[in-house]
Amino acid sequence: MRGDVSSVLIDAGVATQLVVVRAGERVPVLTSGTVDPQMPPQRDRAWSRYACALAVCCLGTALAWPLYGRVDAMNIAMIYVLGATLSGLRLGRGPAVVTAIGNVLALDYFFVPPRFSLDIADPQYLFTLVGTLAVALIISNLVVSVRRQTGAAVAREHRTATLYAMSRELAGAADAVAIADVAARHVGATLEAKAHVLLTDATGALHHDACTVGPVEVDLPLARQALASGQSVEASRSREASVYLPLVGGKAPNGVLVVHPSPGQQLVPEQLRLLETLAGQLALALERARLAELAAESRAAAERAALRNTLLASISHDLRAPLAAIASAGSLVAQSSHALSRHRRAVLGQLIEQKAHEMSALLSNVLELMRLESCAGLAASNWECVEELVGTAVKYNQHRLEGWRIITRIPAELPLLRVDAQLIVQLISNLLENCSKYTAAGTCITIEAAVRGDGLLLAVDDDGPGFGTREPETLFEKFTRGQPESHVSGVGLGLAICRAIARLHGGSICAMNRPEGGARFETFLPLAPGCTGDTRSLSA
Amino acid sequence: MTRAMHRVLLIEDDPAISEVLSILFETSGFRVAAVDCCERAIRQAQSYRPDLCVVDLGLPDRDGLNFIMQVRTWSPVPIVVLTARANERDRLAAFDAGADDYVLKPFSGPEVLARVRAILRRITRADEPAAVVRLGAVTVDLANRRTHDLHAEETRLTPLEHRLLECLVRHAGRVVTHRQLMREVWGPHQADVRALRVCVGTLRRKLEREPAQPQYLLTEPGVGYRLETCGDSLRAPAAGIISNAG
Repeated sequence: MRGDVSSVLIDAGVATQLVVVRAGERVPVLTSGTVDPQMPPQRDRAWSRYACALAVCCLGTALAWPLYGRVDAMNIAMIYVLGATLSGLRLGRGPAVVTAIGNVLALDYFFVPPRFSLDIADPQYLFTLVGTLAVALIISNLVVSVRRQTGAAVAREHRTATLYAMSRELAGAADAVAIADVAARHVGATLEAKAHVLLTDATGALHHDACTVGPVEVDLPLARQALASGQSVEASRSREASVYLPLVGGKAPNGVLVVHPSPGQQLVPEQLRLLETLAGQLALALERARLAELAAESRAAAERAALRNTLLASISHDLRAPLAAIASAGSLVAQSSHALSRHRRAVLGQLIEQKAHEMSALLSNVLELMRLESCAGLAASNWECVEELVGTAVKYNQHRLEGWRIITRIPAELPLLRVDAQLIVQLISNLLENCSKYTAAGTCITIEAAVRGDGLLLAVDDDGPGFGTREPETLFEKFTRGQPESHVSGVGLGLAICRAIARLHGGSICAMNRPEGGARFETFLPLAPGCTGDTRSLSA
Repeated sequence: MTRAMHRVLLIEDDPAISEVLSILFETSGFRVAAVDCCERAIRQAQSYRPDLCVVDLGLPDRDGLNFIMQVRTWSPVPIVVLTARANERDRLAAFDAGADDYVLKPFSGPEVLARVRAILRRITRADEPAAVVRLGAVTVDLANRRTHDLHAEETRLTPLEHRLLECLVRHAGRVVTHRQLMREVWGPHQADVRALRVCVGTLRRKLEREPAQPQYLLTEPGVGYRLETCGDSLRAPAAGIISNAG
């Protein structure tokens, strides 16, 4: 429609070509993005296009000039129609109309008798002129609309490709922060603008610190306004016009997408539509991440509750039995010590001590497991040396391992680990304690460490009976023991603790029978990025 | 013990543990004064003039840290802290406040005695800082910056390793925190615990027979290092256990 309006305007300005050019200047600005999505509305571009349109008129006239007299005026009209078509093909609607009108005027002026006048001597030439004008306008109009459709199709395809690329990457993003990163990068690249995603917290509120990390300056009140209203807010400050789009999922607001166009640029409606589509996609992805997080949380809570129940049932027996022994032995010593021989008193004392030890070990295991399972991440991690961790664990268990031969094979050039030292020492200690419980004194325990792929493999081997036909994996379950009814104290939490510790560090632990006999426990701990750096040089 | 009895100030609010520790110390030839709160402890520390203090970090009126800091303003008396295994941060804070050693709860009687005796032995010897330290087969001559193994072959220590060893020798038998080591060896502004780990590793390779099972340069996980020079390294004995529910 607007194109037609402009052609009417230009029709009105036929008398002076100067007016046509001026009127034409505004056309792309008024209709930016709809007339021609491929060409940004710029003043000098419009100017040059209209100048080209006029140049096509001149060129047609120059071509036709030598033919005058040799061919009929009808055929000269064909040259002008061709010119108008070309103009429509290359220059857009406004210039095409200018070319068509200019061509007809030129045909009339230069070639229709009487020449060098706009008068028409023979009425048949009036048909020629009107026909030429109509044909030129229709053809150029058709060409322009075909071009526009092509442009729209290209833009559509571009948008689909952008959406596809972004949704594919969003599907791979692990959490809300990664999703926000992916989206900001895609939106920024697509619109040649700076984009940033502000994430809300669990309660759906926006915080100041969410705004300070991004590459763009964010107006927090505006972002909050967008979030509250659920509609996009445009902020025009000085020359920049940034856009705030709320990302509202099914229930809660997930965040705000902020887009800053490059300096001096504005987002055209086409781009705004694309932006809204992208924002919708992004909101869905964030919603998905949020729901996944909620599901994981509730699953973990259910697991914790189940563990607590098993735990209570299981330890009540293991606590009561030694308590009964302690209480009775204590009362014996206190009430009838005069009747007891020196030797018997000593025996009772040792019994109390031993039972207290067992209870203490059990309690600390239970507490440790509870603590490990309830914490989400590592509280205190630091750069630690594998050799040191192994050495400490061996030292802690020295009293248990007096009869065993311990061989450590730890290469000097191992990278440092970023771990919680106490927990890893506990892991190794539990494995060593297991060895001392289930293998005979005098056998050999080997501790090896090596880099495997992007992690560190820590293996504890023994020469004991191994696991037999039993599935070693079941040992890592809570309250599972190698020999269910035996004199060996413990409730079967040691390996469960090991697994919890390994998982807390992003690693894993597994058990297997050694081909040459005996058991092997392999712990895999991922290496932190930056740990393989040249730490050797630090010691120089 | 033939010399005069050492006086121990015991600051512990749990009466059961206080009772047991008192008996333990008295039967081992110490004189004991037991108090159950920080305020009384500070008064006693001034009037009783103990040779050693044993402090529980969790006291009813004020934190045990408070006591350590107050005492450190006027006295270098050795202080041993009683702490639960989980409270790594408290332990570090205690060392920063000026504690000399710690015993983990639940602890055993012999372990407490061994720690206390080691510290007392050290202060009686502390007047003449050893210039030559024997670590098993290796002899370290700090004054001349030389280290020899059993066959009198010289082992070369880098300047950093030497400074680290020197610092550990100066506090021999006592825990030196990571922070303290980094400050004394690398200077106040270059704190990278990775450098410390690597340096300790290379030092162990030069001094220890089995670096993964060190005899002398011991790790106190999460806290720091301890140089064991006497050879009677502390073991966690299987005998005797004293603990409270907290």
